[in-house]
Amino acid sequence: MHELSMAQGILNAVIETAESNNATEVNEVTIELGRLAMVNPEQLKFILGVLVENTIVEDAEIKFEEIPVEIDCRECEFHGSAILDDKDHYAPMVKCPECDSLAVEILNGRDIVVKNIVIEKPEDN
Amino acid sequence: MHQVADVEVAKNIMDANKRLAEKNLKNLEDKEIFCVDFVGAIGSGKTTLIEEIIDNTDYNIGVIAGDVISEFDAGRIEKHDVPVVGLNTGKECHLDAHLVGHGLHDLPLDDLDMIIIENVGNLICPVDFELGSHMRIVVVSVTEGDDTVEKHPLIFKTSDAVVINKVDLAEAVGADADKMVADAKKLNPNVKIIKSSLKQGSGLDEIIKAIEEKKNSL
Repeated sequence: MHELSMAQGILNAVIETAESNNATEVNEVTIELGRLAMVNPEQLKFILGVLVENTIVEDAEIKFEEIPVEIDCRECEFHGSAILDDKDHYAPMVKCPECDSLAVEILNGRDIVVKNIVIEKPEDN
Repeated sequence: MHQVADVEVAKNIMDANKRLAEKNLKNLEDKEIFCVDFVGAIGSGKTTLIEEIIDNTDYNIGVIAGDVISEFDAGRIEKHDVPVVGLNTGKECHLDAHLVGHGLHDLPLDDLDMIIIENVGNLICPVDFELGSHMRIVVVSVTEGDDTVEKHPLIFKTSDAVVINKVDLAEAVGADADKMVADAKKLNPNVKIIKSSLKQGSGLDEIIKAIEEKKNSL
């Protein structure tokens, strides 16, 4: 529900990196999206599509990679990837795969990271 | 001629807020101020609870009231004779650490020992935004439906206390308050859970005690 501010943060990071690398155009942007971040990738893609108009990112392909949820279980001391319920929503239940407990500490899976960009730039001479 | 290059960005979009939240916390600790933030849906009873805490404790409290149009809640709290800053989030659905930083700047910090933040009515978006408080309390009312806790697991998992409010209305709306308690406990086994009816005066003492326990544990 706060895709606009996230999209603006993403675009700022992309343009900053592109400009400091003398890019004339950005061809591709890869974003890592935590499975538990409270944003919807489809909505994020839509709003990014609006924001990139008239920038060097305008024609870029936006790719998402999922950051899996990593947990420490407080019940059975399991450490690793959680299992999530298969319901189609963006605040999934996070369970321990060993003992099914919901009493888990979430270590990873809540962030949004601009991973890398593919740019075009003048030949180095 | 052009060349194509793959450039690492590695920029975490959430970090900017986290850094500002840490700055807010340090600012509060330098002034020896305890800060609690309240999250919960629209109409769950956050503002009423804050009013009751102001009227029933001896702390020197300042309030940051966030809302899409903040003057309503801020106006209610002002009547209790405490300093209030209303933060308009406009179209945004949550407070963030940047806005709270401005709010702190506008409060008379030297005269305060507790700051209460009221977030925008929303059980989803505030999860992504730490504010720099010491304690987060989520307020949920039985009138929202007794499946509200299980439908919003992350906010209940990441809060330090859960208030289940308006329990006097549970029967009228066909809600099972004990189911909500059990759901919260399943998600967050060590969390403090308090059933309340602020209109009827029940649960307030326990809520104040939970805040004091957290304050004294620091």
